Amino acid sequence: MKNSVLFQYMKHKAALIFLVLNKNQHIIEANNYAIELIGNDILNKSINEIALDFSKSIDFKLIVNDESKRHLLNIITEKGLPQTYYFTFMHTDSETIAIGETNSSEIEDLRMSLVSMNNELSNLTRELHKKNAELIKLNDLKNQFLGMAAHDLRNPIGIVLNYSEYLLDETSDTLNDEQIELMDTIKNTSRFMVNLLNDLLDISSIESGKLTLDLAPSDISKFITTNCALNQVLAIKKNIKIVSEIESSLPLITMDENKMVQVLNNLITNAVKFSLPNTEILVKAIKSEDKLVISESDQGQGIPQNEIKNLFKPFERTSVRSTRGEKSTGLGLTITRRIIEGHKGTITVESTVGIGTTFSIIIPYQ
Amino acid sequence: MDKYEEYFKNLLDGNKSACAGIVNNLLNESIDIMDLYTLYFQQSMYKIGELWEFNKISVSKEHLATAITESMMSFVYPKIFGAEHNGKKVIVSCPVNEYHQIGPKMVADVYELHGWDSYFLGANNPDDELFRLIEEKKPDLLALSLSIYFNLPSLIKVIEKVKNFYPNLPIIVGGQAFNWGGRNSLNQFPSIDYIEDVKMLNSFIE
Repeated sequence: MKNSVLFQYMKHKAALIFLVLNKNQHIIEANNYAIELIGNDILNKSINEIALDFSKSIDFKLIVNDESKRHLLNIITEKGLPQTYYFTFMHTDSETIAIGETNSSEIEDLRMSLVSMNNELSNLTRELHKKNAELIKLNDLKNQFLGMAAHDLRNPIGIVLNYSEYLLDETSDTLNDEQIELMDTIKNTSRFMVNLLNDLLDISSIESGKLTLDLAPSDISKFITTNCALNQVLAIKKNIKIVSEIESSLPLITMDENKMVQVLNNLITNAVKFSLPNTEILVKAIKSEDKLVISESDQGQGIPQNEIKNLFKPFERTSVRSTRGEKSTGLGLTITRRIIEGHKGTITVESTVGIGTTFSIIIPYQ
Repeated sequence: MDKYEEYFKNLLDGNKSACAGIVNNLLNESIDIMDLYTLYFQQSMYKIGELWEFNKISVSKEHLATAITESMMSFVYPKIFGAEHNGKKVIVSCPVNEYHQIGPKMVADVYELHGWDSYFLGANNPDDELFRLIEEKKPDLLALSLSIYFNLPSLIKVIEKVKNFYPNLPIIVGGQAFNWGGRNSLNQFPSIDYIEDVKMLNSFIE
């Protein structure tokens, strides 16, 4: 009676693997737990068909015949992931009873390790968010400081620039060549500093999330023609020709014209700086689907491929040098990209060393 | 099914992505952080704890629900850590062998919401680590949490040590363990406040 109750329990309810093997070590009976774990086709399989043996070196016959200890076997489960069971084999005259159990203390250790690791991970996540918030605050402070410093420096430097220009214009006939050269250096240096301070002010306001766009419908054809003509005045000094090709009847585009002037000027002045004399800069505008595409191509020196990814980062410089020693603040393209992104657009670069560079701006028609 | 019931059902089923969906919706609807903490995270975990205590769910299920809740709390962090700081600092910790850290983590977050800098040391925290942080941060307050009553001796031990080395450091104590007793054992120490729940904590900070 007791044996029968025990057998029924093992067969139907026990949470362990219970198998009966014949003399050939094939499974002739399996309990519900084993069938659910290993699969309906468990019967008639041999023990080596349900257990993993990566190195093909396990002597299953020896294991099954060894009643003296428990044997660790990794069982192939129906769900895919193998599970570890500790097997005890007991023999009768004609059959072998195999019982596979899990190690509860091992599982408990694992559970506690997972709890600890989860605690650690979630605490690190919290720490990371806290540090991130601190960094955002520090970055805001940096931008605030940068903005204030640039703003306070811009006026005095602007005065130096204006006075040096005035002196050069009004008193150049009373100055000797050396004095004119010195005044010219003061003028050029202070102009560079004013540009740098303007760029720093732009960057600090953009970084602080204060990029405000004054959006209005613009005639892109007029916009490009006017700005190409203005830049031609500077380009002519290097005998560089600026050409524009604009698709006819382009619809009005909604944009901040002042900010887009900054973008176009940045791209064209960069092209002039890095192009050799007697070359051409081409500015094109077309409508592609519901987007406006403005491209600016030069016949300059080109940018090595591995340096393109750094082009839009602040203060990053490429190995390419301007052809007449013109200076750059290192912020122009960063500001350009932020302005384009503010218009929900993108800017891309294609360049071949020795052939030239093309910047393409894509802005959606809204 | 109301939102809380839906959240609780998914938490009990271990359905993390469904819980995340509900929490993110609540955050998008600008739920008050304290409401999210008390009406969802705290209420659901109290219920889970109760189900475990009455042998209705396994400890594994309880741990899974805990892990999911901690994960849900991380969605709130961007809203918590933006507050202006008032220069005050609190260290929040659990004694050795105390593995339940959601409650104390909420305490640390509530302090952050009130502009304090909170340093959360986590569960099962060795005394040395706590003392190292007290030395480093010089906090204005120490908050200790106890969820399992049997860990009370560990808590008393750490309070004794802290009071010995830092007699002027105020301490607050709280946690589910005190539902089973032990509050009187805190009376032997000066400058210790027992905080019953998040609502009381809010009033205490204010």
